[in-house]
Amino acid sequence: MTNFIEYLLGGLGSGAIIALMALALVLTWRATRVVNFAQIGQAMFTTFIALTVQEISGSWFVALVAAIAAGALLGVVVQYLVLRPVKRSDTSGAIIATFGVLIALQAAAGMIWGGEQEAYPQPFNTAGISAFGREWPISVYDLVVIGVTIGLVVGLSLLFTRTNLGLSMRATAFNPEVARLSGIRVSRTLTIGWAIAGVVGAVAGVLVAPISTLSPNSFDILLVFAFTAAVIGGLDSLVGAVALGVGTGLVISLVTGYSDSSNAPVVALVLLALNLLLKPDGVFGHTSSRSV
Amino acid sequence: MSNLMRLPGARLVAHAAFFLAIFLVLMWFMGGADPLTMSNVALAAMYATAMFGMVILVGLSGQVSLGNGALMAVGAYTFALVSMNWATVPIIGVAMNGWWAMGFALVGGIVFGLVIGGLGARLKGPYLAGLTLGIAVGIPAIANRFPDLFGGETGLLLTVPYPEGGYLPEPEEGFEEIPVDEATAGTETGTETLPTEGEGADETLAPEDLLTVEDLGGDAAASDAASPEVLPTEGEGADESLAPEDLLTVDDLAADGSAIDASPTDVPSADVPVDVPADIPVDTLPPSTDMNDPGFLIEYWQVSLALIVACFVGFVALNLVRGRQGIVWRAVRDDPVAAAVSGISPAWAKVSAFMISSVFAALAGGVFAQLLSYVGPGAFPLGLSLSLLVGVVLGGRSSLLGAVIGALIIVWLPNVVRDLSDGRGWDEQVTNNMPNLLYGLLVVLVVLVAPGGIVGSIMAGVAKLRRTRREVEPPAAAIPPAPAEGHTRR
Repeated sequence: MTNFIEYLLGGLGSGAIIALMALALVLTWRATRVVNFAQIGQAMFTTFIALTVQEISGSWFVALVAAIAAGALLGVVVQYLVLRPVKRSDTSGAIIATFGVLIALQAAAGMIWGGEQEAYPQPFNTAGISAFGREWPISVYDLVVIGVTIGLVVGLSLLFTRTNLGLSMRATAFNPEVARLSGIRVSRTLTIGWAIAGVVGAVAGVLVAPISTLSPNSFDILLVFAFTAAVIGGLDSLVGAVALGVGTGLVISLVTGYSDSSNAPVVALVLLALNLLLKPDGVFGHTSSRSV
Repeated sequence: MSNLMRLPGARLVAHAAFFLAIFLVLMWFMGGADPLTMSNVALAAMYATAMFGMVILVGLSGQVSLGNGALMAVGAYTFALVSMNWATVPIIGVAMNGWWAMGFALVGGIVFGLVIGGLGARLKGPYLAGLTLGIAVGIPAIANRFPDLFGGETGLLLTVPYPEGGYLPEPEEGFEEIPVDEATAGTETGTETLPTEGEGADETLAPEDLLTVEDLGGDAAASDAASPEVLPTEGEGADESLAPEDLLTVDDLAADGSAIDASPTDVPSADVPVDVPADIPVDTLPPSTDMNDPGFLIEYWQVSLALIVACFVGFVALNLVRGRQGIVWRAVRDDPVAAAVSGISPAWAKVSAFMISSVFAALAGGVFAQLLSYVGPGAFPLGLSLSLLVGVVLGGRSSLLGAVIGALIIVWLPNVVRDLSDGRGWDEQVTNNMPNLLYGLLVVLVVLVAPGGIVGSIMAGVAKLRRTRREVEPPAAAIPPAPAEGHTRR
């Protein structure tokens, strides 16, 4: 039982990162009805930028800020140059285009920074905290990650519920035509949505890099976990993405603890398949009518 | 299912004759080609085999899937396990050979295609892409989960059932010192020798047994793994003529340095009967005029195998695309509700498209296993699935000819980039990543500018040309043009 609790605690940090990545996927889905498979490539790319900034400036926070700025910019660029011009009738085209962006970003990162696994400096202590006479499987760094995640989620929910921008984003997600008729500049709102998603993804990248490694392909598995969390959470629901992201992290931690880390992707796949079979609209999603 | 192959007999015969002619012409060209071209053509044929399935899946039925690399792994592992573990075909009792093993790979493709397609048929666009993405990423995990069966990270080195008589590695520059008895030793067993640390093994390691980096579909991860220091260096000079960065040994494919130590113990050569009968009729092979008498070039065997499978699969695919089932798939893609009203089952249409593409992928996987004589998680990375998608999109999403063009692009673009970079002082990491960067940018460009890909754009251009010409000429003389590909469905 103590093992169980330790595994759960140990999964909180990675769960928070999966939650952030899932949040980024949900944000782009809400904005443009596109699952941005390039999100993980954008996060990887901005994390490489952050690593470069960190090596020059020596400051973790400056690097984080640089990643956030680059993430927003990259999100805008990808949405404006790639996704916006895709023809609406071409339903497969948007998905294929995001994969094209992913391939190009990974290759560009390999060109600029090389294909080796780079270690990202650890800004906080990643060893377990010692308290109450024992060592706990949760570190100062995990607490920072959880704190940043909570801060971002609170900030986003305030943005969506308390500001005019949030209102127009929700209106655009609900019905773009009606939103346009109500005087909302839809295309600008969509681009802003992608910028916010880019920021969230960039933060997730900078947070996950110190506890894994950084290479053009090293985040691929994070995309699978985040997609699993986002889909099970309903793809439309910010709360669902966060809850299921943390949940996925906990499940993976339990699987890794009780068996082996190589089982984690299999378990994620099984969860995803079961969810898609039993409740395709997700746990937190709104049931929509399906034509056939 | 009944109308999967329903076509007028005359067209069946015409299609068969068409692919037979293509096969014969290509084999005639291959007779005079150099080994490098042969192995490139073999790879392109293997890719085309898988991409025919992608055309049916992505282009005709409108399901974007990244699982076809994983389904190739299903075929390859089935091939390897069946040909390694079963000396005879169960129930029938015939001795196992390459074609029987391919048959089992086909069955594996059907089973997995039905399971994943059944899951996927309920899913729309992004859900299916995400699920199959997970499958593609999860392949190594599944191989590692059952290391006894699948060989784990190391993979399986399989004994390719070469035809009786074995093969003769063709000497190239730097290889003249290969002793004749070494070559004939390989001839007697009919098995491919495994590179080990021993002295003799490295000498039989002909360059064609080694994969170049681009063989893996330009996957960045694979090229990263190709660190030169794990190349066998113990040999007396076999590898002196080879640039280490161009070569990827079988061990590198495992993306794991420990592979080189572990693999020799996994070799199943003792279990496999030496007297496996020839699985390719000898009369399909060329008269060995330019080769030493008993052997033949291994690339020639490889390219024959890959082309036979590709032409057969292409024949089946053409019948499906042009037949009734192709109409069914397009109808469901364009308007599932209208299709259902017309008595088509949209779910079955999607599952059948997935199953067919899965069978093609599995057959390509069986060919891939025989080209590499190795099966392992490192040979089926996410990049393989992505490059299948890239090739089909670039060539033309709903055209079988587009799949062939896509396969040629996937195989030749890395070579072109390397030729360009030679002498221009490009950094190695630039050269290695340039093909993928081009693929990514080209895919985006094609989706935005020309969703029909190369073939679709050319056909649209031809149709436009015809239209303008018809406007110039008196309409009475004009023959009504054949409707363009996309408009035949209703």
